[in-house]
Amino acid sequence: MPVQVQSLDNGATLKISPNGRFDFNSHREFRDAYQGKSPAAHYLVDLRGTEYMDSSALGMLLLLREYAGGDKAKIRIVNARTEIRNILNVANFEKMFVIE
Amino acid sequence: MLKNVLVVDDDQTNRLILRNLLEREGLAVTMAENGAQALEACACQRFALILMDVMMPVMDGYEATRRIKHSASVHFTPVIFLTAMQDDEQLARCVDAGGDDFLTKPYNHVILKSKIRAMLRISDLHDTVLHQNQQLNQHQQLLIEEQQIAERIFKNVVNAGGTDIPGIRVLLSPTSVFNGDLVLSARRSTGELHVLVGDFTGHGLSAAVGTVPVSDIFYAMTSEGFSIGDIAAAINRKIKQIMPANIFFAATLLSVDALEKKFVAWNGGMPEVLIIDVNNRIRQRVRSQHLPLGVMEEAMFDRAVDVFAVEYGERIYACSDGLIDAPIATGGRFTKEGYLECFGPHVGADQLFDWIVGSLHEIHGDGPQDDLTLVEIVVNEALASIDNVIAPVQHQRNSTAWQVNFELSAHTLRQVDPVPLLMRVLSEIQGLERHKEILYTILAELITNAVDHGILRLDSALKSTPAGFANYYTERSTRLAQLDGGSLRIELLHAPQPRGGRLTLRISDSGPGFDYKTAPRGSGANAVTSGRGMHLLRTLCESIEYSGNGNCVEAVFVWNV
Repeated sequence: MPVQVQSLDNGATLKISPNGRFDFNSHREFRDAYQGKSPAAHYLVDLRGTEYMDSSALGMLLLLREYAGGDKAKIRIVNARTEIRNILNVANFEKMFVIE
Repeated sequence: MLKNVLVVDDDQTNRLILRNLLEREGLAVTMAENGAQALEACACQRFALILMDVMMPVMDGYEATRRIKHSASVHFTPVIFLTAMQDDEQLARCVDAGGDDFLTKPYNHVILKSKIRAMLRISDLHDTVLHQNQQLNQHQQLLIEEQQIAERIFKNVVNAGGTDIPGIRVLLSPTSVFNGDLVLSARRSTGELHVLVGDFTGHGLSAAVGTVPVSDIFYAMTSEGFSIGDIAAAINRKIKQIMPANIFFAATLLSVDALEKKFVAWNGGMPEVLIIDVNNRIRQRVRSQHLPLGVMEEAMFDRAVDVFAVEYGERIYACSDGLIDAPIATGGRFTKEGYLECFGPHVGADQLFDWIVGSLHEIHGDGPQDDLTLVEIVVNEALASIDNVIAPVQHQRNSTAWQVNFELSAHTLRQVDPVPLLMRVLSEIQGLERHKEILYTILAELITNAVDHGILRLDSALKSTPAGFANYYTERSTRLAQLDGGSLRIELLHAPQPRGGRLTLRISDSGPGFDYKTAPRGSGANAVTSGRGMHLLRTLCESIEYSGNGNCVEAVFVWNV
């Protein structure tokens, strides 16, 4: 599953787009998308190309949140399709992330 | 270490030329004069390469090669035929016999050396792959052994509570030895049933490791009388503390009080819990209101629960998302809609669980893809009996005399449920363990009365309708959260008696009291419901006396070992 990474707003925002299946096999790729790089002020996780997501993907989002400063993290999750939105809703992730 | 090459030729000159050539290549050489000697040599040691003549006395090269290759171990020993024959068919026979290459005499030394090097390289590669393969096998074996050990530990911990509770049915269908799904159940000492249905992130060992502290906390706190909200908070704290950030535990904690006909749920990240009425229709859907356990900081944790009134014959269904995601034969998945459609009058109440399980096996084909869990709890009289609560450990020592007083402020009452804390104090009385359930009931009734009606001034008439029942508990938590005055005073006095003791509990609240001389507390529209608690107390205690303006109560419990 390719994870695309894009730097926006002169490096202030890091956009991460997991495509296809976002599950345990994406673990390393997703981590490499943000780790070892200069930390961004904002993170944007674009789920437009994400077809499937499991609970380990939720775990990966939590790892990103921890990396980005925990409660101070500024992470937006956008463009989730209905099924994926349901997964995020059941886990009540809107309490941890901005979901649009 | 020098590599060993076997030269098989009946002509001495040929052998000497080859030895000369090989030794200059840095190889050790062993010689054989015919196929039979070659077999003997191969039986004693392993060769990196064999150079084989075809026509020899005793045993020719074809036969020798066939036998060497046939008896060869897992190692690869390349054979190069050196032959004077030019006939294509005979050269093909070399390969058929198991030869890996051939060269016709008179051979060019440069080409022979190149072929030897190439063969040795292939042989090295083969050895490397073989070695890695062995390592992989060892790791695999180790992994399986560790999983088996861990599985045993897991089972011991999870089954520690180990009572079969009538009225609960569980389908737990894991994908592997270790899975993230977990179902725990135990009875509180007052008889309420606690059930936890949960799903750890991912699969395998990492998912299963966390189930050990979870079940420890669940059983210990249930046995000490804590509520599911408190248990959820403790599990959350523990997982947050010990597990990495990406591991969390979606869980729903359920409490069924069959005596009070009260159902309480805390749902964090699990599919909806359903209350099914006696006609098999979905009466209530309890959706996830919380983050999964292990995600939220302790200070931010929300232990708010949903409270519902339930009737005998009603059922409670909980499942993991593995059930909803279960693939079906025609492609696609079971789906939430498919699950919800299972409930309805088309199937008898007693067959409901089997009907769902049956339809799952049908649609599964190759068996479950993900962990899937389904739990059914039937609310009935059997659940109300307190026969099968977790058995307390018994000690035989003498009890002592003591007295202890507590003054609980509004601040404390907002933060902690005093009943389990008092139970801890009382458990210090030796010999009293056997009466733990009864004592818990007495304490819980007295304190709930004092807090609900005395301090929070709730009217139990509210509870007379199912909607009012839920409202009552909502109102209770609202009032409790806003409580900024009032207090509760608790005195415990214990006097040993021959073969037992006499425990006096005095509880007074700061409320206005009530007219205890003419009416049971909280009477009025719903005297039956509210009077029941008092009736229960009178059967359990030697005496119950109200005093003051009704805000003080003294209960005496006499016990024998």
